[in-house]
Amino acid sequence: MRASHLRRIASVLGLLVAWQILVQTGKLSELFLPAPLSVLATMWDLTRSGQLPWAVLVSLNRVVQGFVYGAAVGVFLGLLAGAVGWIEDLLDPWVAAVYPIPKSALFPLFLLWFGLGDPSKIATIAIGVLFLVLVNTMAGVKSINPVLLKAAHDLGAGRLQIFTKVILPGALPSIFTGLRLGAGMALILVFITEIEATKAGLGFLLWEAFQLLDTKQVFAGVVTFGLLGVASTWLLQWLERVGCPWIQRSN
Amino acid sequence: MLLALRDVGKVWLIERTGERVKALESITLDVAPGEFLILLGPSGCGKSTLLQIIAGLESPSSGEIRFPSVTRGVSPCAKPNGKLTSMVFQDYALFPWRTVMGNIVFGPEVRRVARGEREERARRLIDLVNLKGAEDRYPHELSGGMRQRVALARALANDPQIVLFDEPLAALDAQTRRVLQDELLRIWGETGKTFIYVTHSLQEAVLLGSRIVLMTAHPGRIRHIVDVPLARPRHLTGRAEAEMLDRLDAELILEVKRAMAT
Repeated sequence: MRASHLRRIASVLGLLVAWQILVQTGKLSELFLPAPLSVLATMWDLTRSGQLPWAVLVSLNRVVQGFVYGAAVGVFLGLLAGAVGWIEDLLDPWVAAVYPIPKSALFPLFLLWFGLGDPSKIATIAIGVLFLVLVNTMAGVKSINPVLLKAAHDLGAGRLQIFTKVILPGALPSIFTGLRLGAGMALILVFITEIEATKAGLGFLLWEAFQLLDTKQVFAGVVTFGLLGVASTWLLQWLERVGCPWIQRSN
Repeated sequence: MLLALRDVGKVWLIERTGERVKALESITLDVAPGEFLILLGPSGCGKSTLLQIIAGLESPSSGEIRFPSVTRGVSPCAKPNGKLTSMVFQDYALFPWRTVMGNIVFGPEVRRVARGEREERARRLIDLVNLKGAEDRYPHELSGGMRQRVALARALANDPQIVLFDEPLAALDAQTRRVLQDELLRIWGETGKTFIYVTHSLQEAVLLGSRIVLMTAHPGRIRHIVDVPLARPRHLTGRAEAEMLDRLDAELILEVKRAMAT
């Protein structure tokens, strides 16, 4: 445990130091691969000027809205479809047809329908999250041991009670899997939707820097996206621990 | 009389072939209050199906089930006033997301018993099944024997007249099974409830039952019903017990052979 921890830290620090040295000795060009310390300095400057915090806020607003709408609809439809046969029959062909489409391919359509502002971006993110959450929620309902439904029925639970007290908690672990995948998808989609037709957001900041060949700022954007990804994973893991305390965790 | 089965039959339709399979045929049986009734037979004799029919989880294809003392002509599926039966499943069927306490209060909770009362009831049952101190544990943190105690307490929490057991100890190791068999007998004595208990173990049947319903397979029928007049506590090594075992063993083996031949 201890030794493996040390190896991990050594791996990260070693690479960063080597990288820094290679750039400083002129073996690597700052244009292609800016040194870690210059990236850090750029991030600090962008933070002090307010550019980076503003970009993060604008993007987070789109991500959170899209995520919440998509997840809410996905969980709702997924539970219904998992529990009620005929609703599943109505949904199934649409899921089969839309699920394989890269959701970024729908962005142009949403631009056409909802305009250049936030709604088209939020809709793209929401659709991406929706299908991941929907498919996982349905799988979660299907994975519930039918004996549990029998037991609940035998103990006197009605249909609604079986839904709220057996199907919902039974599907919760899979729902969280869907939410985690959805969060990753939301970050991918917010970047893609911020490349075009916008003047704000983290994706815009990154893409604009690329067009000006400001590699340091590109790296600043990449690192910030990474931090957002880590933060969203932590948040969802914490939610899962609170929401599903019965799950056995190995770590 | 607590429960009367009259000419109950069950036919399964196998969809793929369109074939109709008789799982149960002309089951007629009276169950008296307070007895420990064993349904014994080889696998495929429909004893679990019969249990599910009594629980109201399956409906019979023919015949009728009555609880004469409570309601006339109403099947237990209707569950009109209070629960008549509660089932203890073979693989426990505990809700993994509920603690021991949460599992036991499930029945009263869905039947809208006030929180204080249902927890009070659960605490008494936790004492009865020797689970004190484990109230806040989740099922995955319990041994098989403890899980089956939770399942029993959960079934008793609805205060049923009949507790139905579907091979409840089959998945446990031999020692745990012995301990739980003694506890089942103690709880049966203390609660005065009627137990209907499905098993394929002859030893278990002779050890526990006040009556044994010997069933045959293909189709499931009652071969005959044996009173077990042996004094308790019973020991499988005792002379009277051994005689009974021998007699039933011969019959059971005959049954299995006959079933295999068809």
